[in-house]
Amino acid sequence: MARLNDDAQWIVLMGFLVSFSFFFLALVINQSTVVGQTTAESVIEFPKNDIRDVRSVIHQSLNVASPVFNDVESDIKIISMNRKSSVVNYSFFSAANATYIQIHYNNGVTEYNENWTIV
Amino acid sequence: MVKNDGGQLYTIEGFAAGLIMVITAYLVVNATSVYTAGDTHINDMQLEALGSDALKMMDVAPNSTNSETPLQRIITGLNPQDREEFKTLFLKYTNTSGSGPLHDIQFNASYSCRDSNDIIQNVPITNSRELTGGEHVVRATKWVIVDKGCYTAAARDRAVLVEVLLWRD
Amino acid sequence: MTDDSGTLSIDFIAGFTIFLLAFIWVLSMIPGLLVNLQGYTIDYDAVAYRTGVILVEDPGWPASPPWESQQNFSVTRFGLAITRDTPNILSQEKVDRFFSDTSVYGAFAYPDDYHQRVIFGDYPYRFNISLLDVETNELQSVGDVVPEGYGYIRRVVKIKGLSNATVDAPLYKNPDNNVTTHEFSILVNNSGLKDQKNPAYEIDPARDQIMVNITNLRSSLDDSAINITLTKINVYKVDAGILSLVRTFNTPYIDGNSSTTQPPVEVKENVSLKFSPAFFDILNAGNSPVYINLSFNLNSPSRFLNNTWTSPFSYDYNPAHVTQPRLRDAMVEVAVW
Repeated sequence: MARLNDDAQWIVLMGFLVSFSFFFLALVINQSTVVGQTTAESVIEFPKNDIRDVRSVIHQSLNVASPVFNDVESDIKIISMNRKSSVVNYSFFSAANATYIQIHYNNGVTEYNENWTIV
Repeated sequence: MVKNDGGQLYTIEGFAAGLIMVITAYLVVNATSVYTAGDTHINDMQLEALGSDALKMMDVAPNSTNSETPLQRIITGLNPQDREEFKTLFLKYTNTSGSGPLHDIQFNASYSCRDSNDIIQNVPITNSRELTGGEHVVRATKWVIVDKGCYTAAARDRAVLVEVLLWRD
Repeated sequence: MTDDSGTLSIDFIAGFTIFLLAFIWVLSMIPGLLVNLQGYTIDYDAVAYRTGVILVEDPGWPASPPWESQQNFSVTRFGLAITRDTPNILSQEKVDRFFSDTSVYGAFAYPDDYHQRVIFGDYPYRFNISLLDVETNELQSVGDVVPEGYGYIRRVVKIKGLSNATVDAPLYKNPDNNVTTHEFSILVNNSGLKDQKNPAYEIDPARDQIMVNITNLRSSLDDSAINITLTKINVYKVDAGILSLVRTFNTPYIDGNSSTTQPPVEVKENVSLKFSPAFFDILNAGNSPVYINLSFNLNSPSRFLNNTWTSPFSYDYNPAHVTQPRLRDAMVEVAVW
């Protein structure tokens, strides 16, 4: 202050007011960027395409003849582990006129299990 | 007006305070436009969706009479023409634009397979530009079952993982 | 000097004015700040992404009978994929209906009808959804002109085209030349069509239009001066082993006309039959075979298109006589602001 003086309290009060409003403004802005990050990030993080892809390759692999079938199964499991850091496991059995498949997928963040019937 | 010069310092203080507030407000307004860290993730999301879509569409045969999809044919053959076809197809899918903005997308494609010792090998397919390390890349992958072992063309079905790194120029 | 009474007049007013101006300016900036941040760079892209996923990976609701063959008010969600398990493969019928095929039920209104069924959310987003057919370079779109600064997503897709069959009449002539009434029957074997397990290549008359073009009728006659009359088109269904007449088909396209003509009608060269999914929906044929019989009358006896002496023309997966559904490249773009 210009002098030791207890006048001009208005200015000090307004100063407080403005600084508080900036503080809250900063808080709100901060929140909104966090929201934006999580929306786009969660889209990337959720392995929708990976699950769909694994599902379709497992479906395709059922048409592969039996001795080679085990190779394809190991391919899917081992390459998933190495290149996609995800655990993929599946088993199936064929009944009278349908095939039942159990799929397990886990990439550490998302876990997905499915029981799936192909007529 | 009373002739009095005692308040001058207060006037200067008032102007200074006003100036400081204006500058602060300006800084806050300016800073926030740089502050949108979410932007890069949105780009990544769009690029990843586009890359996965492109690979997915390359793995669809146009007709039920085709026994192989274009992607399976390319991986099985993998001669220079096949590599060139991969590049043409992939760039066609990623860079075609209707009413939206143009994209200049570059990529680097390879596939991973398992050899007889359970080691994962990575075989390059093609790229539109060498990866220098400075790019901000996203990865799109696609499983394919092909009549091909790792390196040697053993004529039996194997699952391989096609991986594409994409970035914008 | 302890007298500071000078502060209260002009100096105070000047200082307070500057403060107020700055304060008002900051206040007026606040809504702009929030719109900039939450608005287009973040939320709009997310909405565009969501809309893209719904359109490209979802078959829409109701699923059966599909939304594209229902009244506008019965449609609760648009989705262009042929099935849930075939993302990125779009149905031609759904695409046509989505981009306002007004032929049966009137157009969907922009933006309200689209907003409720595919964009969702409380905020009245504006949008532009377009589909570029890469092969024909045809661009279909719905929505406003895109401004600066919008959320955007692009999806690479394939459109499952429609199948059709062309019957070259001289190839299906009967050997007997002393006849004036001729019959040609087409078989749609629904259970046989189910053999194709991949929905991307399946011919499903209840989902996709099928079309039969009968051409070169005159060249199958012995004498090209004879008049041909298409008297009726009967549709039969086999139910529990019994063949029964279900209905007649009254909308053939005659000689390349753009509108349909109800038989009996005189035909010169060709007859086109387009069977919409609604037609097969009403038949409710399920797995039972459907026969479509065309009856022709000639004003003097001759050999003509007729397959009563052999087997009906089968609409199936034989590429030799039925052009199979083909997937063609396309691009869906969604812009939201």
